[in-house]
Amino acid sequence: MNVDDQLTPALTLRGVSKRYGPVVACDAVDLAVRPGEIHGLLGENGAGKSTLMKILLGLVHRDTGTILRGTEPIEIDSPQVAADLGLGMVHQHFSLIEPLTVWENVILGDTGRVDRAAACAQVEQVAQRYGLPIDPLARVDRLSAGERQRVELIKCLRRDPSVLILDEPTSVLTQAESAELFTVLRRVVQAENRAVILISHKLAEIMAATDRVTVLRRGAVAFHGTTADTTAQELARQMVGRDVSLRAEGAALGLLPVEPQSPAGAPPSTDPAGAAPAADPTTPAALRLRGVTLRVGGLPVLDDLHLDVAPGEIVGLYGVEGNGQATLGELLSGLLVPDEGAVEVGGRPVELTRPGTLHEAGLGIVPEDRHHSGVVLDMSVAENLVMKSLAGVCTRGVLSRRRMHRIARRQMAEFNIVAPSPDTPLRSLSGGNQQRVVLARELSAGPKALVAAQPTHGLDVGAIEDMYVRLRQAAAEGVAVLLISTELEEVMALADRIAVISSGRIVGVLPTAEATAERLGMLVGGVAH
Amino acid sequence: MAAATTVAAPPTGPSGPDATGRRLLRRLNPGVGGWQVAAATAATVAVALALSALLISVTGGSPTASAKAMYQGSMASPAAWTTSLLYVAPLLLVAVGACVSARSGFFNIGQEGQVLIGALFGAWAGLRLALPGPLLVVSVLAAAAVGAGAWAGLSALMYRFRGVNVVVSTMLMTFLAQQLVSFAVNTPWLLQESRLGRGTLSPQSNPLPEGARISSLGEYPNLQINGGLVLAIVVAVVFSLALARTRWGFRLTMTGLSPAAARHAGVRVGALGGMALAISGGLAGLAGALLLASPVGTNRLQPGMSLNIGWDGLLVALVARNNPLLAIPVAVLFGVLRAGGSFLAATGVPPFLVDVVKALLVLAFVAPPVVIGMLRKRRRAGEPATTTPATDPAVSKQDAMEGSLA
Repeated sequence: MNVDDQLTPALTLRGVSKRYGPVVACDAVDLAVRPGEIHGLLGENGAGKSTLMKILLGLVHRDTGTILRGTEPIEIDSPQVAADLGLGMVHQHFSLIEPLTVWENVILGDTGRVDRAAACAQVEQVAQRYGLPIDPLARVDRLSAGERQRVELIKCLRRDPSVLILDEPTSVLTQAESAELFTVLRRVVQAENRAVILISHKLAEIMAATDRVTVLRRGAVAFHGTTADTTAQELARQMVGRDVSLRAEGAALGLLPVEPQSPAGAPPSTDPAGAAPAADPTTPAALRLRGVTLRVGGLPVLDDLHLDVAPGEIVGLYGVEGNGQATLGELLSGLLVPDEGAVEVGGRPVELTRPGTLHEAGLGIVPEDRHHSGVVLDMSVAENLVMKSLAGVCTRGVLSRRRMHRIARRQMAEFNIVAPSPDTPLRSLSGGNQQRVVLARELSAGPKALVAAQPTHGLDVGAIEDMYVRLRQAAAEGVAVLLISTELEEVMALADRIAVISSGRIVGVLPTAEATAERLGMLVGGVAH
Repeated sequence: MAAATTVAAPPTGPSGPDATGRRLLRRLNPGVGGWQVAAATAATVAVALALSALLISVTGGSPTASAKAMYQGSMASPAAWTTSLLYVAPLLLVAVGACVSARSGFFNIGQEGQVLIGALFGAWAGLRLALPGPLLVVSVLAAAAVGAGAWAGLSALMYRFRGVNVVVSTMLMTFLAQQLVSFAVNTPWLLQESRLGRGTLSPQSNPLPEGARISSLGEYPNLQINGGLVLAIVVAVVFSLALARTRWGFRLTMTGLSPAAARHAGVRVGALGGMALAISGGLAGLAGALLLASPVGTNRLQPGMSLNIGWDGLLVALVARNNPLLAIPVAVLFGVLRAGGSFLAATGVPPFLVDVVKALLVLAFVAPPVVIGMLRKRRRAGEPATTTPATDPAVSKQDAMEGSLA
C-alpha cells in the first residue's frame, strides 16, 4: 500500500455514499485507480458496483463523499460532463443501434455535419491503434457479440478517455474473444497510460487480467490490494462474506417461519424431519433436467445442464444473475423450448413444444417476473387463481362463476391473500399478495415439483417469511422444490443441497452443510472446485 | 414508506373487508368510476355539437335546420327508423367481430375488405346455387361468413409462418379485396351482369334472386325490421356471453391481456388468435351478405357496396370499448348518424361536412375514457407506493427492517 501511494491516482473516490430510502447502495466507498493499471472491481449482485459506476458516469448523484481527478475535486452532474472529464464506459448490455452501420454508431451523439469519410477514417485509425479490426461500413446487426464489443470500445476510445470502465465485458464473449479483449486492454493501459476499471464477478478473469482489485460487499469495500498478492480463494471469501455471518443471517431470516418439527433457526440441512431424502439415492427425482441446452445467437445460455430434485427436497440453484437462471425459469414456465435435452417430471419426460404440458405433468412454478407470465394484472384475483386449471370450473366449456368464487375464497383464506373480494383486479393488490396468488395457484394444483425463481424479490419481510414457510411446508409434504435464487442467505436458509450455476452450467452441487462461502464463491466465480 | 400513508389501505385480515375499505378500493380501481367517464363524455359531446354547429354556420348553413334534417332522416318516422336500422345490422356485426379480435390481442382492421369478400362469396352463392328459398338465404350467409373468415385467416397464416404484422396485413388485404371484387364484376364468366339486349354492361352483378334476399319481419305499416338486424343482435348477445362465460372467452381475454401468461397457462396462443381473426372476418363477411341481400342497397354486387361499413364498424367497437353488448346501442347511434347524414346531404349540406360532424362525435365518445385512463396512469406513476400498500403499522416497521437488511 505504501508503495502504491507514491503515484497520483487518475481517479480517486473518498467516502462516497449513496442511499435509496433505507437501502444503502454505497457505504463510504474509497477507491483509487492509477494510470497504467487495470483495476478489478469484484462483487455480487447488489454489492453496489453498478451504483458506484453510475455515480462516476453522472447518472446518479452521490449523497456524500468526494471524487478527485488527479488532485482536483470534480463534480459529475451529467453523462456529458463525465465524457468531458475523460470517463468512458462500455456497458454490459450494448448500447448500439442494430440497423445502423459501425461508423454511424460510433459518431452517434456528435454534433455538426456528418462526414462519412472522416468518420470511417477515424474508426479505422482507432481500430488499428488498439488492434480492434472492424469494417466501418458493416451493419451492426450482422456482427458477432465480440465484434459489437469492439464497436463499443472504439466508441469509447476515440474520445481518449483517461479512465475506461468495462461492466462485465466478457459475459457475452467466447473464451477466445475474452482473451483478445484483455490483450487490447493491456495495450490501452501500458502504451497510453490510461486507467481501466474492470467490473466482473469472474474470479479467474480478475486474477488474470487485473493489477489491483477492490472487493465490494453490501455497498462497502470489503477488501482491496494488489492482485498478485492475493488468491482466488481469498477473493471468493471476501466477495461472498464470512461463513459465520452468513449462517447467522440465514438463521435470522429463517427464524420466524418455524416448521413444527424443525428447531427455530437451524439450517434445514440439519433438519431432523423424516422428509429429508437429499442423500437417498433410491428416491427417484421428481424433477430432473437432463442435458438441457439452449442457444441464443449461437452462444449457449444453458449449456448441458443436469440437475435432479428429489421429492421432499429443497435444492437451491445459486449463482450470479445473468448466468442462465432467467432462461431456465422461462423454459420451466413453458415459454421456451430447449435445443437439446429433456425435462422429466415424476420420472416422465415432458413434451415441451405444446403449452401447458409442464403444468399437466405436475410442475408448479413461481416465475421470476410474475407480471410477465405469472399473473394477468387486469384480471381478477379469482380468475388468476383458476387460470391454469379451468377444467375444474367449467362444465362443457361453460365457466361457472360460482365455482370459481368458491375456489378463490378457499385459496384466499388458506394463503392469507388480502383482497377486498375475489373480483378485485390483481393490479390493485400489493406485491406480496400478488405473489401469494401465484403460490396459492401453483400449490393448490398439487404439484410433484415446484420451481420458485427469485420468489422473494421485491417483497417486504412479512411476505418473505410467508414465502419461506410455504416452501418448507411444500417440501415437508413431499414436493420437490427447486429454489432459483441469487441471494445466498436465502439459499443457505432453505435448501438441503446447493447447486451452483455459472455460464449456464451446473458447476457444482454440494450439501448445504458443506457449503462454505469460499467453496461457493469459487464455484460462482467459475473456478473449478 | 412515507408514501404508503397516502394510499388507501386494503383492510387487513383474510376474514373479509369492511365497507369503507371496499369503497376506498373501488375508487382506486381504474376499471370502475364510470361516472367520471360519463360526465366527461357528456362534456365532450356538447363540445363536438357546438363545433359542428359552428362549422355548419360558418359554411353558410343553418345549424338548427341541419339538426332537424338529421332527425327527420333518421328517427322522425317509422320509415326513417327503417333506414337507420338497415345500417345498424351490418355495423353491429362488424363491431362484434372487431371486439373479438381486439380482445384476443390480434387486431383485425381489415373489415372493409372482409365485408367486400363476404358480399362476393354471398353473391356467388346466391346467383350460382339453385336452391329453394330459405336454403338459398342460409347458403348466401354461410358462403359470405366462410369466405371472409378464410380471407382474414390468411393474415393469421402470414403471421404464423412469416411473422407478418396482423394489423398491417389485414389492412392491406382490404385493397386486394377491392381489386378482386372489381375484377369479378368486370369479368363476364365470373359475376358480371348478363347481357340483356344491346346495352353496355355495368361493372356489377345481376340482382340477387328474390329467394336469396333477407326478408323483413312482420308487416307494420312503414316500419320494417329486417331479419339481418335480428341476426346481428343474436350474434352480439351470443358473443357477449361466450366472452364472459365460457372457457374459450376466458382464454381469449387472457391471451389479449398477457400472451406469455396465457401460453404459460396452456393456451395455444397462435391458434386461438388465428381463430379470433377468422371469426372477426367471418362476421364482417356476414355484414357484407346483409349489404347484398337486405334492402339497404341494390341487391347487386358492386365495387363500392361496402359503404365504409367496415371502417365505421371498427369505430363502433372502439366507442363500445370492445364490449359486444355495449356495441348494440353504439351501432344504433352510428346507424342513426348514417341515415341522418344521408338525408342531410340531400338537403344541400356538403357531404364532407356530414363526415366531419360524424368524426367529431366519434372523437367525443372515444377520447374521454382514454384521457382519463392516461391521467390515472400518470397519477399512479407519481405515487410509486400505490402498488404496495402497507397493511398496518406493524408491517411498516418490518419494511424498515427489510431496508436495513438489504
